[in-house]
Amino acid sequence: MDRIYIEYDNARITKGDGILLNVEIYGGETFLNLEARRLFPITGLDRYITLLDEDGNEKAVIRDINNLMEDSKQAVLNAVNEYYLVPKITKILECYEKFGLMKMSVETDRGMYFFDIKSRYSDVKPLFDGRVLLKDASDNRYEIPDIRKLDKKSRKLFNSYL
Amino acid sequence: MIFENTLTNLPIPKEFKEKAEKLIPPGEKVLFALLGDLNLHGHYGASMIAVTRGSVYAFDEFHKGGALNLSIGYIEEAKVKRMYGNAVIRLKLESGEQLNLIRFTYSVSALADAAAAFFENVAGGGEPEKELEMVAGAYEKMRLVCPKCGRKLSRAGSACINCTSKGKLAKKLGAYIMPEKKTLFFCIALSLITTAMALVPPYATKMLVDDIIPNKNIKMLLTVIIALAAAHGIQHSVGAVRGHHLRIIGDRTVARLRNDIYAKAQYLPMSFYDKVSTGSVISRVSGDTNNLQAFMLRVSQDAVVQFFQMVGIIVIMVAMEWRLTLLSLIPVPIVVAVARFFGKRISPIYRRIWRRWASVSSILSDTLPGVRVIKSFTSEQRAIKKFEDYNAEWLKEDVKASKIANIFPHTVTFFVTCGSLLIWGVGGSWAIGEINGITVGLLVAFLSYASKFYEPVNFFANLNDSYQSALTSAERILDIIDAEPEQNKEDAIEVGRLKGKIEFKNVNFSFDKTKKTLTDINITIEPGEIIGIVGTTGSGKSTLINLLMRYYDNYEGDISVDDINIKDIDLQSFREKIGYVQQEPMMFRDTIFRNIAYSNPKASVEEVIHAADVANAHAFIAKIPDAYDTMLGERGVGLSGGERQRLSIARAVLKNPSMLIFDEATAAVDSETEHLIQEAIERLISGRTTLMIAHRLSTLRKANRILVVDKGEVIEFGSHDELMALKGKYHKLIEIQSMSLTIDNSQ
Ligand SMILES: Nc1ncnc2c1ncn2[C@@H]1O[C@H](COP(=O)(O)OP(=O)(O)OP(=O)(O)O)[C@@H](O)[C@H]1O
Ligand SMILES: [Mg+2]
Repeated sequence: MDRIYIEYDNARITKGDGILLNVEIYGGETFLNLEARRLFPITGLDRYITLLDEDGNEKAVIRDINNLMEDSKQAVLNAVNEYYLVPKITKILECYEKFGLMKMSVETDRGMYFFDIKSRYSDVKPLFDGRVLLKDASDNRYEIPDIRKLDKKSRKLFNSYL
Repeated sequence: MIFENTLTNLPIPKEFKEKAEKLIPPGEKVLFALLGDLNLHGHYGASMIAVTRGSVYAFDEFHKGGALNLSIGYIEEAKVKRMYGNAVIRLKLESGEQLNLIRFTYSVSALADAAAAFFENVAGGGEPEKELEMVAGAYEKMRLVCPKCGRKLSRAGSACINCTSKGKLAKKLGAYIMPEKKTLFFCIALSLITTAMALVPPYATKMLVDDIIPNKNIKMLLTVIIALAAAHGIQHSVGAVRGHHLRIIGDRTVARLRNDIYAKAQYLPMSFYDKVSTGSVISRVSGDTNNLQAFMLRVSQDAVVQFFQMVGIIVIMVAMEWRLTLLSLIPVPIVVAVARFFGKRISPIYRRIWRRWASVSSILSDTLPGVRVIKSFTSEQRAIKKFEDYNAEWLKEDVKASKIANIFPHTVTFFVTCGSLLIWGVGGSWAIGEINGITVGLLVAFLSYASKFYEPVNFFANLNDSYQSALTSAERILDIIDAEPEQNKEDAIEVGRLKGKIEFKNVNFSFDKTKKTLTDINITIEPGEIIGIVGTTGSGKSTLINLLMRYYDNYEGDISVDDINIKDIDLQSFREKIGYVQQEPMMFRDTIFRNIAYSNPKASVEEVIHAADVANAHAFIAKIPDAYDTMLGERGVGLSGGERQRLSIARAVLKNPSMLIFDEATAAVDSETEHLIQEAIERLISGRTTLMIAHRLSTLRKANRILVVDKGEVIEFGSHDELMALKGKYHKLIEIQSMSLTIDNSQ
């Protein structure tokens, strides 16, 4: 099966209904209302974005968002940024353990929030590049973009749980 | 009041209350309100829907004017659209317009599901009051279970007894050492003797230096030497006895811990193993138990001994010379401060070491059994490299820890030595000037007591270090010991033979909150029926069986067998009645005989042979040189897929179950073997309720009714003829398969 890869200017992508996208392949088909999903939501945020129709069938794949035409790029970025809600933790206000739950209260790029983490061993994942991925008791995700760049107090609060 | 008896998941903020009171006509009442935690643009913030009998009001700063008002009658479709880390209630109106009502994180998505169902049902003509019951159920459920362990709470919103009892680490671990109480006290008593004996020599030194030698008292010299010899003799022989007993206590404790963890691991639910790697469980059983045991002994023994030693020495020192005693206490605060400083730094390192170590051991437990795959892709080098990399990560952390762990005691020793220099300086000058009655012997004895005094100080300072490392071990062990086991009600019903009526009522299930795996399953299967289950891969067929087997308990709705809710049935007596031939038959490293007899260890030889016969396995077993004594490798290596499949059918036969479940029993075999297995299955069925998952529809010719599953929903359920007449999904599947069959035949 040949996959349609979208790159540079071989397609124009515009906003469709809600967070869906309309895709017009140069010299080819036009698809309405496709949903953009990251194929690598953790390791490659801007690369390999699949475009699915309502039934989940893939219509095309974007190789790299950054190589798209400016308008298309904005449309895709808006769509994925709406779909993927992974707040970036900028400051840790509280972090303590109670009844075996790790309780965290944080400041993120999307506002203040607090949540519980069930297991510090399986739900807190430090990566080698300094990122830390967290998953709360309701399966929501959070990210600390770079633990080394957090302020001292936040690091201190969090370090003992790392 | 519009907010009277309103169901709500959180208190309604004042701002929304005021807005709602302006917006909603006073005559109406808000049946339920759902508070979201995101605004429509994905930032944290409050949002709310308030639902009355006929209308829904959505409050979000990004709705025009901060609120949206809609008649439920206009709603054509309402669903919860789950995205990544967030979801929206999305409505499709009769006009064709689509809109998002509110946005929220997964924390409230279960309630949103209920709200969406409410909209659709009421729009479709349902009674709001009746539909509200369903919503109320979802709200109640959310408040009635502990968010951590999933256990029912005594009262909505109350603290979970199970979880609050956590954290009493010492008490829980103490339970493991308590059975050794007597020996422990015996050992402590022994240690008092050894400690007392250890305190004799310095005093003897003082006598020798100050008194006996200057006075040339030979007789006294002999007596003191004999006394010293006796003291040493007692100290070391008692020490040996004590050591022996301590080791026994330690070994028993660790064995007890291991047994407990292993036993607990057996009863943990599948959802535990979905998340925790077996490698990390293994390292807990092997490594952490040792670590913890060592620590428990340290605390229960050495701590006591050192404490007595400390007290004893202080008393002696004060009696000898109180001014020097004060002097030698000077380094104590420094030692304590240093210990605290290092303790804080070292505990995160220990956690990291463990994490790294757990990854190393999960590589072991993950890749070694897959060594065939590694070889087939000739990726030995890659495997080695990966292992080395992980090992290097471990090494890095361990080196870090080693640095701190070694700087620390030496720093402490340094300060302690400074303390003794102080005593030398001050005490020495006093001895020279013959001030305060200080003699050479006293000074020497005092110094030797002082150095002994720092042993316990050092010990207690260091205790923190081993305490930290033990604490992490303890946490991980308790992680398993405290984990919620599969639930078995106390008053569960023991069932005898089951007739085999199976009923799913409004069953909804998701493995995690990110996606729904089964939606609204409503089926009734009569006793003795043979049900074929078909559907595309990943549609949820095996999951359906998983729920019936009670591998996962956290579904919504009810599943009953013979009109008893399966959650009320004693787990063991229930599973015993079901013969389950799994999609991937799993054999153990044992003989063929014992692998078959696994399902019924009491079975006689002939019963086992008969079972193998029924499963069409006897013939091939008989041909292997070692026949029933053939030793299988790990996971059943040494048999072909079809052979393993037949052994697992033989297991099911031997169990003499009331109900049968086959998950793709013939998926991986040629048509001849399929025929053999098919025969075996048919022989086995004889009147038992049977569920058969199959991709090859030809397998299902004996089925009374077929259940077609698609994307987690039952879309068709009926006899072959009915479904063919329906011309739906089943019809399509049959057409595709008979087409390929004609191709097969024409070849
Ligand atoms: N332990 C699990 N945790 C999370 N998701 C799971 C788990 N097991 C299965 N799933 C998902 O649930 C869905 C249903 O899986 P299931 O095993 O029931 O499919 P199936 O119908 O038996 O497929 P097949 O015909 O391939 O055996 C799949 O999308 C699968 O990815
Ligand atoms: Mg399956």
